[in-house]
Amino acid sequence: MDITFYFPPLADYVATFPMLVLAVAALLCVVVDIFYNDAKGVAILAGASLLVTLLFEAARLSLPPAKALYGMVYVGGTASLVNMTILFSGFLTVLIAQPYLKRLGRNYGEVYALLLVAVVGMMALGSAANLLTLFAGLETMSVCLYILTALVREKDGAIESALKYFLLGAFSTGFLLYGIALIYGATGTMDLSDFADRLASTNAGVMFWGGTALLLVGFFFKVSAVPFHMWTPDVYQGAPTPISGFMATASKTSAFAAMVLVLGRALPSAQWQTTVAIVALLSMVIGNFVALAQSNVKRMLAYSSIAHAGYVLTGIASATPEGYAGALYYLLVYTVMNVGAFGVLAYLEHDNRQGDTQTVDSLAGTGQRYPLLGVVMAVCLFSLLGFPPLAGFFGKVYVFGPAVKSGLAWLAVAGVLTSAVSAAYYLRVLYVMWMKPSPDDAVAPQFEGVPPLAAVALAGCAAFLLLLTFTPWVMDAAVAFFRDVPAAIVSLP
Amino acid sequence: MLAPVLFFLFAAVAIAASIGTLLARNPVNSALSLIVNLLAVASLYLTLNAAFIGIVQVLVYAGAIMVLFLFVIMLLNLEATPVLEAIDKRILAGYAGGTLLLGAITYLLARGLGALPTFEIAESAAATGTPRALALNLFTTYALPFELIGLLLLVATIGAVMIAKKRFV
Amino acid sequence: MSHATALQLILLLPLSGAVVNGILPLFVPALRRQERLVGIVGTGVVAAAFAVALSLFLGYHGEPITHSFYRWMTAGDFAVDFAYRADQLSLLMTLIITGVGTLIHLYSTAYMHGDEGFWRFFAYLNLFIFAMLNLVLGNNLLVLFLGWEGVGLASYLLIGFWYAERKNSAAATKAFVVNRVGDFAFLVAMFLTFKYVGSLDFDAILGFARSATEVPAWVPWAVLLMFIGATGKSAQIPLFVWLPDAMAGPTPVSALIHAATMVTSGLYLLARMSPLVLMSPNVMLVIGVIGALTALMAATIALTQYDIKKVLAYSTVSQLGFMFMAAGSGAFYVAIFHVMTHAFFKACLFLGSGSVIHAMHGVEHDLYPHHDHDDAHGHDAHDDHSHAEPLYPLPYAGVFDAQDMRTMGGLGKYMPQTNLTFLLATAAIAGIPLFSGFFSKDEILFRAFEHGFNGHAYGYFVWIIGIVTALLTAFYMTRAYVLTFRGTERWPKPTEVKPHESPWQMTLPLWVLAVLSVVGGFIGLPHILIHKDSWLMRWLVGEHGVPVADSITNGVGVQAAAHGAEHGAAHAAHVPDAITWGLLLLGAAIAIGGVLWAWRVYSTHGLAFDVRLRDRWGAIYRRASEKWNWDEFYERTVHQPLLWFAEQLAIFDREVIDGAGVNGVAAGAGWWASFFRRLQTGYVQTYALAIVLGVVLVIALMLLV
Repeated sequence: MDITFYFPPLADYVATFPMLVLAVAALLCVVVDIFYNDAKGVAILAGASLLVTLLFEAARLSLPPAKALYGMVYVGGTASLVNMTILFSGFLTVLIAQPYLKRLGRNYGEVYALLLVAVVGMMALGSAANLLTLFAGLETMSVCLYILTALVREKDGAIESALKYFLLGAFSTGFLLYGIALIYGATGTMDLSDFADRLASTNAGVMFWGGTALLLVGFFFKVSAVPFHMWTPDVYQGAPTPISGFMATASKTSAFAAMVLVLGRALPSAQWQTTVAIVALLSMVIGNFVALAQSNVKRMLAYSSIAHAGYVLTGIASATPEGYAGALYYLLVYTVMNVGAFGVLAYLEHDNRQGDTQTVDSLAGTGQRYPLLGVVMAVCLFSLLGFPPLAGFFGKVYVFGPAVKSGLAWLAVAGVLTSAVSAAYYLRVLYVMWMKPSPDDAVAPQFEGVPPLAAVALAGCAAFLLLLTFTPWVMDAAVAFFRDVPAAIVSLP
Repeated sequence: MLAPVLFFLFAAVAIAASIGTLLARNPVNSALSLIVNLLAVASLYLTLNAAFIGIVQVLVYAGAIMVLFLFVIMLLNLEATPVLEAIDKRILAGYAGGTLLLGAITYLLARGLGALPTFEIAESAAATGTPRALALNLFTTYALPFELIGLLLLVATIGAVMIAKKRFV
Repeated sequence: MSHATALQLILLLPLSGAVVNGILPLFVPALRRQERLVGIVGTGVVAAAFAVALSLFLGYHGEPITHSFYRWMTAGDFAVDFAYRADQLSLLMTLIITGVGTLIHLYSTAYMHGDEGFWRFFAYLNLFIFAMLNLVLGNNLLVLFLGWEGVGLASYLLIGFWYAERKNSAAATKAFVVNRVGDFAFLVAMFLTFKYVGSLDFDAILGFARSATEVPAWVPWAVLLMFIGATGKSAQIPLFVWLPDAMAGPTPVSALIHAATMVTSGLYLLARMSPLVLMSPNVMLVIGVIGALTALMAATIALTQYDIKKVLAYSTVSQLGFMFMAAGSGAFYVAIFHVMTHAFFKACLFLGSGSVIHAMHGVEHDLYPHHDHDDAHGHDAHDDHSHAEPLYPLPYAGVFDAQDMRTMGGLGKYMPQTNLTFLLATAAIAGIPLFSGFFSKDEILFRAFEHGFNGHAYGYFVWIIGIVTALLTAFYMTRAYVLTFRGTERWPKPTEVKPHESPWQMTLPLWVLAVLSVVGGFIGLPHILIHKDSWLMRWLVGEHGVPVADSITNGVGVQAAAHGAEHGAAHAAHVPDAITWGLLLLGAAIAIGGVLWAWRVYSTHGLAFDVRLRDRWGAIYRRASEKWNWDEFYERTVHQPLLWFAEQLAIFDREVIDGAGVNGVAAGAGWWASFFRRLQTGYVQTYALAIVLGVVLVIALMLLV
């Protein structure tokens, strides 16, 4: 046999270019760190590689979706959108995290390597065309996040929360793997696009749906949907704050995207619709109500992210291409607003108290003192709340609308009502930041200000949320794209 | 005809050994039960014509990983866990939850296994079981997941070292 | 410059001013003290917008310029664009807004000098201009509503500009809450319109009105709801109560927002929707009668006030009533005519009063030098003189008040320019012939009469009330002028303490506005004088009845619907020329008579004549001076019942919800909260158990449901 047969064709290298670039950049980060401590170049390398891949994916956005590497991943179209969301989250996180890590003395090359490899895993998960890719991507992502959670290991709770995350993650992955096994048993294939045919030609329904149920359990855990959410507040609180923002957004985006890929082909959708709808309801209700009772801001945002998982699930539960497109749109917006909110919190930790002691009351007067942080936080929280005309509002319209059309009006009503509840805890933060005088300015620690690049990233988050609404071309492009996405999802090869 | 008989035999051994792993009070006994379990699973692979995976299972798990486990147990000088005097509520809830889960999965398998279609897997298993067939698959069709797993193992190592040791010098 | 660019510039210039003035100083505190810079940016952007609007106006060829910038939102069949429209009506409004706006911005650079919130003030003012332009330039009801809410917000921010004083915040809140009532009605009107027309675009709505052959049942309801919305913004009975309190804001704000522009947005809405309004004669009756009653009531109140800004505030309410009288008679272009002349003379009067208050603050400062005046300039608020200050006898009980006319008198000597401009504007509002107010007010009265003549009997009623109100207007405005600028000085120690004229930034706008109040009426000369339609009528109503419909050319009610497409049909009987001349002369006589009468009595008797009035008109005067007890009415019918209801709820809350212990809702919530808190133990085993139960749940749902 000719050995050249084993080399994938050139097109496959192009198709996996982003993953290759990021993997190589990750290795370089580790290597450079051996020679130079605390090198600024490492962060630049990581950021540049993310930016390059982001632009590369943007260029592929308009291509029709196709499969690559022996049918293992999707490239182009919807897959590019998902990848862009993930890469955007990673890019913003690098910009925001670098000064933060430097202050903590943790500006290790390894951190960036882990972040880049996590992004590779997420991209594999979010554009998987085969259950094996899906699993490998999921695990790659998870292991990196476990380690990143424990980064500041001297801190109370860091190791503890990482261990919790690891144990529970392994537990839920067990279910996911079992689910894959059952699906393989029922259909004899791991290729997502073969499911429909195999299901139609056999009567292995029970086994397949059981497998799908267990697969869903794995996803529900990753997106922290109730009742698989309990690790979330502990882990977000224990992890370094910018990393929490990264975890809350990119990992959820990829897991939701994978969920859409799997469920979009698990027909008839009536079989799983109720399940997803009920989990969505539980997430919205419990996430929002428990968030009300939190005094720690990071825990509050963790519960809010649980509630937002419920909103996205509402879009998915509609089981229509419009609902899936709405969910993807919501994830894009959600990513920007959450990275922004966690980023602001990261810079309000300059007193070295860290996020685990950052109560709402400790933010008193910070909006007045640091208007940039205050304004960014205000835009992000108003958007999270779904306040028109910010992008978060349109996100909610795009997930609740299809749900109503699919006869899930009760779910959409519950979503709207619970979002109204969420106003209480989001606005409380803003109230404290802007209206309450700070307790004692004299003892307020010196704050050298947000470094320029991080400031640009934070302001960029706020600007993006406003731009999406107020600039014709961005909104037009977004609406036009999302009008096409349903078609793209239906026609995935 | 021997293969199905052996399969169920080893399966029973594997289940018994894993129950033993859970119930043993002495960590060394628990680890030894685990070895039995791993060997039984390796035998299951052999009965399924997956000789290469069976051998790798013995080499990696029973060989490398278990030795590491035993080292740790010996080094830390772990004692046997005490017998519980009273049953605590949380453990009771755990048992109840576990039973429910077992019930759910049993139901699933009971309803599902009978209706399972037959694919031409058993026949091709003979071919895929060999290292050559496996390698051909791994390096072509499954190249991407394979490489991803490679990356995963690498960052796991890097991460472990970073958390445990890393300091700027 | 293309039309689209021009429209963009007109809108974006004020917005950029608001952003620059609002955001930069927020982040760079050093900029907050750069008054010159802030003032130039704030005034410059509005002046530039005015210039662009003027070029559009001069190059206008009769076809509406519409431009859709982008699609704002879509939901099913519902699509709304950020679409703007410049036609005869909106261009005229834009010119008024940006023109008067520029003058008032310039005035404010001097008036607000030294105020800590100088930058904030200009940011809000620019924001207001932007919102107001959205209101008049929007090409659909939703963009109009965006502007409608935007001006409400800007008004709220500016009324409560000196928010440190509780009274001001309370006035801001009152304005906001009262306007919400009207806004709600407007929203419902929009829903109705969308339900039956299927679009919120003006072209679609007016096209519907044009093609209708009969009056659909929903139209009167929608028009009535829009009118209720208009009563909120434009301060008519029953929602006018916020406007007099809104005088708590700085005086330029009163001039710009609460006299010249924002309060006329209700009229703009009715004029824009005029084909629909004409299809609803019953609602027109309501509009006309409400306008007439508001005008009369506010005029009687104005007669009894001593606070110079309160007089002007009630006068504004009264003049707005005149405009609604015109709208109720189907003469929408006349209403807009009065909007324009009123913008000139009322802005002039308010700015003049600001100049006076400015001077009187100087007097106050000289009299009470120890009083801590960190921002003596431009602070309209009543100051608290509780600590040791020299005590001077005042013409009334209480502390020195720079806005009270009883401490003024004889100011004409010291402030010649303010005096003269105020006098010209007073002549205009009183309706002295050849001044602008004469033509617009007379046209309103004539059209009301003509409406009655054409068989709508309430036209006569409106006309009679209008005549009485016109007399009162001439009277109370002359009273205000004489008490302020003529007679003897009434503040303490007038020989030692002298007020001063204001700087040029304040007198220049006064002069421009005074000249406009004199000549502004010539664009709307009555038919009887020039034997053809006036320029304004040709501009707004035109040959084809666009963009403003009219009861004479389009007819009323079913007529309006049936003949909507054919204009110029002579439905109306022609009022004989003799009667027209008679009405014109009657209007002139009433104005001149009212002015002369008030001039004589207040010049000779001064404040004493108020006492005589009170004795003569006892009960009515007291009622009027108590503002016809509207506030008390709301206090009793809305506020107190709400409080009572809230108290009942509180009792319910205490007794049933809190009191019922474990069975209560609160306790239930507490139980749930503690349940979830107990679940969130921090033990990984608990979390794993939750996952196990979740797996069972998911499998069960998946396979069994």
